[in-house]
Amino acid sequence: MSFFLGEGSVRVELDESLYPKDAIYGAAYVFIDRCYVHLDRVSDRRVQVTLKAKKAGADTQALAGEFQNELLGQAWRRQIVEENRQLIESITTRALGGAAGPPGLDELLTMDIGEETAFEDPLGIAMSWEEKYKKKGGAKAQPQGEAAETDAAEGEKAT
Amino acid sequence: MSGLFTEIGAEARAPKGLVPFRFREVGGDILLTNFLGDWVFLTKAEFGELARGQLAQGSSLYEKLSSRSFVRETLDEAKAAERIAYKKRFLSYGPNLHIAVVTLRCNETCVYCHASRANMDAVHTDMTPEIGEKVVDLMLQSTSPAVTLEFQGGEPLVNFPVMKHIIEYALARNRAYGKELEFTMVSNLAMMDEEKLAFLVDRKVQICTSIDGPEHIHTKQRILAGGNSHREAIKWIERINKAYIDLGLDPTLYHVEALLTTTREALKYPKEIVDTYVGLGCRAIFLRPVDPFGFAGKTAQIVEYDRAAFLDFYRAAVEHILDLNRRGEQVLERYAAIFLTKILGDEEPNFLDIRSPSGSGIGAIAYNYDGKIFSSDEGRMMYESGDGFFQIGDVFTSTYRSLMKHETVRALVMASIRETQPDCVNCTYTPYCGIQPEHNYRTQGTIFGRMRESTLCAVHKGIQDYLFDKLRTNDPKTVEILRRWTTVRARSHFIHASTAS
Ligand code: SF4
Repeated sequence: MSFFLGEGSVRVELDESLYPKDAIYGAAYVFIDRCYVHLDRVSDRRVQVTLKAKKAGADTQALAGEFQNELLGQAWRRQIVEENRQLIESITTRALGGAAGPPGLDELLTMDIGEETAFEDPLGIAMSWEEKYKKKGGAKAQPQGEAAETDAAEGEKAT
Repeated sequence: MSGLFTEIGAEARAPKGLVPFRFREVGGDILLTNFLGDWVFLTKAEFGELARGQLAQGSSLYEKLSSRSFVRETLDEAKAAERIAYKKRFLSYGPNLHIAVVTLRCNETCVYCHASRANMDAVHTDMTPEIGEKVVDLMLQSTSPAVTLEFQGGEPLVNFPVMKHIIEYALARNRAYGKELEFTMVSNLAMMDEEKLAFLVDRKVQICTSIDGPEHIHTKQRILAGGNSHREAIKWIERINKAYIDLGLDPTLYHVEALLTTTREALKYPKEIVDTYVGLGCRAIFLRPVDPFGFAGKTAQIVEYDRAAFLDFYRAAVEHILDLNRRGEQVLERYAAIFLTKILGDEEPNFLDIRSPSGSGIGAIAYNYDGKIFSSDEGRMMYESGDGFFQIGDVFTSTYRSLMKHETVRALVMASIRETQPDCVNCTYTPYCGIQPEHNYRTQGTIFGRMRESTLCAVHKGIQDYLFDKLRTNDPKTVEILRRWTTVRARSHFIHASTAS
């Protein structure tokens, strides 16, 4: 890694074999409230990050140091997350599942069901297979893409 | 710490037959902690034996480690799994703390005030009764069997009619939900009167206020136009405490809670601050460092300080609290009590800022006066200073489940799992500690944060170093006091029972 200090700006050049691209993006993003950030490829596997302070009189040395620390943190955290993926997924799923709970009566009651929308069937669940997928004029059923959507929409109109 | 192995000798190798553990030098001995939160102190000589792989079965070192679940072959796996599930049981339910900012208006001006204060004529910052009802409707949908509605501001008493309406509405609505419902109000008390007090006491609203220490500090930091902020607060604390006694409640359990904002000035008076609180009948003092939310650069000069100075203050204050306990006074420090509860047993006090994952969104929600919803009160304060990162919805359009499944909440959960953090993942204190993603975001620009540079981590580490050193010294009287701090006596009077009709 090498860095160059300019007037209110810092340029850092990185080796991608040491710092994965995701980590570079992540670290650069942390600075966007304080700096204008620019990423560039200077040569094969070398990425250049330019941080230009938004406010005058910024301490560029400190900015460069902080960026490098954040970069190391991001790269290492990525590795840790990889190693602990199963644990993290299980905690997150449990936490969000436990907090959200199953959809309750309140949620069903707050659903927008009016006279016009009560019989809407945008996914065509209430239609027969033939009705849903048959082509106009008795052509072969086509369960994919636009044609299916058009048919479903027509079915909706028909109700 | 890596130096330890060098001291021990070149032949040091990873000890076999142990569960994964982390270690740290505390007061000249080596503290070992494992994934279950069990811990043990070894002398450097014992640690040397361990590092050289000389852990003979049946030796006193082996027995010591085995009795604290460090030895793989004697570990009861089923029991270990049960213990972990018990400690993480808070993951099975959603937010229990719901913070309603009923107004931004405030009658006091504080040197450290968050950007969320508005002048008394800013009536447009009052929550409307309709928004208040929507807050209650969302709150009661939480999967948590117990919910607390906390009124904050500004000064909540400024918008007392709406607060009253929300309380009555919540009590009525809860008949259909049957949750254990509690109310709390954080107030400077200067606008209290007998009529308001009678209502609050009757509806079992817990009252919490701010005391910055002795009068000369408090009045300097909290300006009450045409009055003395300290005298008003003291007068009402005494009055409210008397009301509890008149109701026949135990004054050691039922009294006004007071919170300290530790400014740079306050750091000079650890003993005086403790004495002020004890003099007011407070049994718990929370010595928290000031938080960085919403500060203007100017106020930062008044409130910001080096964390080492805070830790000196903390140690001096807690030593004084311990002395008072030795003389028969029942008073505890809240930070210590939270950590000790986890260190000395398997209980999880569910303090939202010191748990993993943190309580952002899944443990607490903050509702702004205008109906906007945030993953925490800190997130709301950030919004008031111009950054809406933590907004997860609004009372008009959001459903409860959409709040819990919001991508910001998911990110906050993942960012506050200790096993994702470069420092925490190896830290000896990881079984007891917690990460506050809002603090990281505010101070470092990322919800993940860099713990080595985090002032909050420095405080957590410093406090745990101090507590473990006390446990290492193992003075029976001190340990008994610290143990007593972890016993929780429920304040059941404040709970509106969970009988659904
Ligand atoms: S926040 Fe700091 S003290 Fe707490 S576990 Fe992480 S590194 Fe350790």
